[in-house]
Amino acid sequence: MSVSTYSERPAPKAGETDGLSVPWSRPRPKRTVVSARLASAITILVLFAAWTAASSLQLVSPVFLPSPAAVWAKFDVVARDGFVDATLVQHIVASLWRVFAALIAAILVGVPVGLAIGISRIGRGVFDPLLEFLRPIPPLAYLPLIIIWFGIGEPSKILVIAIAMLAPVALSTAAGVRGVSRERVDAARSLGATRAQVIRHVILPSALPSILTGLRIALGAGWSTLVAAELVAATRGLGFMIQSAAQFLVTDVVVMGILVIAIIAFALEFVIRRIERVLVPWAGRE
Amino acid sequence: MTHLTLDKVSVHYDGQPAPAVERVSLDIAKGDFVVLVGRSGCGKTSLLNVAAGLVEPAGGLAMVDGRPINGPGSDRAVVFQNDALFPWLTARENVAFALRLRGVSADKRARRADELLSLVKLGDAGDKRIWELSGGMRQRVGLARALAAEPQFLLLDEPLGALDALTRERMQTTLLDLWAAAQVGVLMVTHGIEEALVLATRIVVLAPGPGHVVRTFETNFGRRYAAGEPIRAIKADPGFAAARAELTDSIFEGEAA
Repeated sequence: MSVSTYSERPAPKAGETDGLSVPWSRPRPKRTVVSARLASAITILVLFAAWTAASSLQLVSPVFLPSPAAVWAKFDVVARDGFVDATLVQHIVASLWRVFAALIAAILVGVPVGLAIGISRIGRGVFDPLLEFLRPIPPLAYLPLIIIWFGIGEPSKILVIAIAMLAPVALSTAAGVRGVSRERVDAARSLGATRAQVIRHVILPSALPSILTGLRIALGAGWSTLVAAELVAATRGLGFMIQSAAQFLVTDVVVMGILVIAIIAFALEFVIRRIERVLVPWAGRE
Repeated sequence: MTHLTLDKVSVHYDGQPAPAVERVSLDIAKGDFVVLVGRSGCGKTSLLNVAAGLVEPAGGLAMVDGRPINGPGSDRAVVFQNDALFPWLTARENVAFALRLRGVSADKRARRADELLSLVKLGDAGDKRIWELSGGMRQRVGLARALAAEPQFLLLDEPLGALDALTRERMQTTLLDLWAAAQVGVLMVTHGIEEALVLATRIVVLAPGPGHVVRTFETNFGRRYAAGEPIRAIKADPGFAAARAELTDSIFEGEAA
C-alpha cells in the first residue's frame, strides 16, 4: 500500500482534470428509479404470461390448470347463466351478506369487549383468556360443533365467520383503548368529564384508528373463513360455488371463483382504507 | 375570595422507596400567579397534580375554600405540556369541549368558543384541524379550552416547555393577558427561570430529595406588564437581572458542584 501526500501528487497538467476531484465535481448520473408499483405490475404480468404459456403449450392438463381464456369464458357464462342454480352475482351477494352480517355481529360484541379489556382490570381478566382460547382455533375445527348446536341454517354460517372476526376486532379495540394518552384523559377529566363522558368523548374516538385497523383485519379473516362456512348445506355463495365445481372437476370455475374472491377482498380493503381516510384523518399526524 | 390551598401535602407513589414530595404547603388566591420552579425530581408536577385532583396526597390536605379536593373538577382546569387536544375535533370544537360536556346548545358554545379563540388571537382558526396548527397555536387552543370551563384556577404543567424560544417568549405575554382577562388564580410549573420571573406574582422554589420548599419570592414583573409596562423594558430593568441571579442561586443552592 502506498501513501501519497498532497505535495507528492503531480500538479494537474493544463486541460487535464484532476483524477481525484472527478467524483466530487461531476454530478452523479441520475439512476432510474423503479417504483414498487412497477415491480408489482411486472410480477403480475410475468405470472400471467407463465400461466398462459403453460396452458397454451399444454404443459399442464386443463383439468389441473385451465387456460386464462377458458377461465374468462367461464366467468362470462357463470355471470349470465349461473352455476349450480345461481348466477355469479347471486353467489357474490350471498357471500357478501354473510360476511357483513358477521362483521356487524363481531363489531357489536367485539368493540364493547375490547373496551372492557382496555379500561377495566376485571374486564381483562374475564375476556382475555376467552379470546386467547378462541383466536388460534381454525374455523373448520369448531364448524362441526356449531352445526350440532345451531343446525345447518344461515345463523350457523354467519356465526362461524363472526367468531373468526371477533378476536381481531376485540384485541384491536383493546390495544387502541390502552394506547390513549394519559394526558388527554386527564385534560378531559379536569374539564369536568365524568367517567362515561371520558369513554364516549375521549377513549372511543382515540381508539377509532385502531378499531378500524381491527375491522380491516377482521374482514380479511372473515373472508378467508367463508369457504369453510359454506361447506355445509349452502345453496349459494362463492365458497359453495368453488366446492361444487371442485366436486365435478370443473377447474375453470374453481379458478374463476378464487379470482373473484381475491378481487372482492382487494376491493373491500380499498374501501376500508378510504373510510379510514375520511373517518380518522388525524391518524399518523398527531 | 377563592383560595386553592395545599396544607402540608406529601406525595408517595406506589412502589417508590421515598416520597416524591414531603409536607409542602401552598396557598393560591384568585388573581395570584404562582410559579413552581426547581430541579428535576423536586415534585413540581406532583404538587400540580395534587391540586388538579389527579394524584391523591399520601399526607396532608388539598382544598378549595376549605373543601377537600377529591378528584379533578372544572373549577381547576389543567393545561399540559403536550397540548392533549382532541385531533378528531376542530379548534373550535376543542375549545367548546367543556361546554359540550355540560349540555350547552351547539350555537351558544360555538359563539363562546369563538370569543375565547379571539382572546388567544386565533379568531380565524376555529375551523382548523389540530394537526394544521403550529405548536404555539395548539397551546393557545389548549388555554382557550381550559378557560371555556370557566375555572377559578388554571393549572399549567410546563405549558410552554415544548415550544421554541421565540414562540415561548410571545406566549408568555399571551399567558399574562389571559390571566388578567380571566381573573383566575394560576399555578404553573416551569423549568424557565426567566419565564418564572416574567409571569409570577410569587415564585416557589422547590428542591428534591424529597420535594420541599426552599424559598418563596414575591415578584411584581408580571403585574407591571399587566399594568401596561412593555415586556422588553421590564426585562431590561436591572432589578430583573438581580432577581434572576438570586432565583438562580436559590434553585442550585445545596447542589453538589
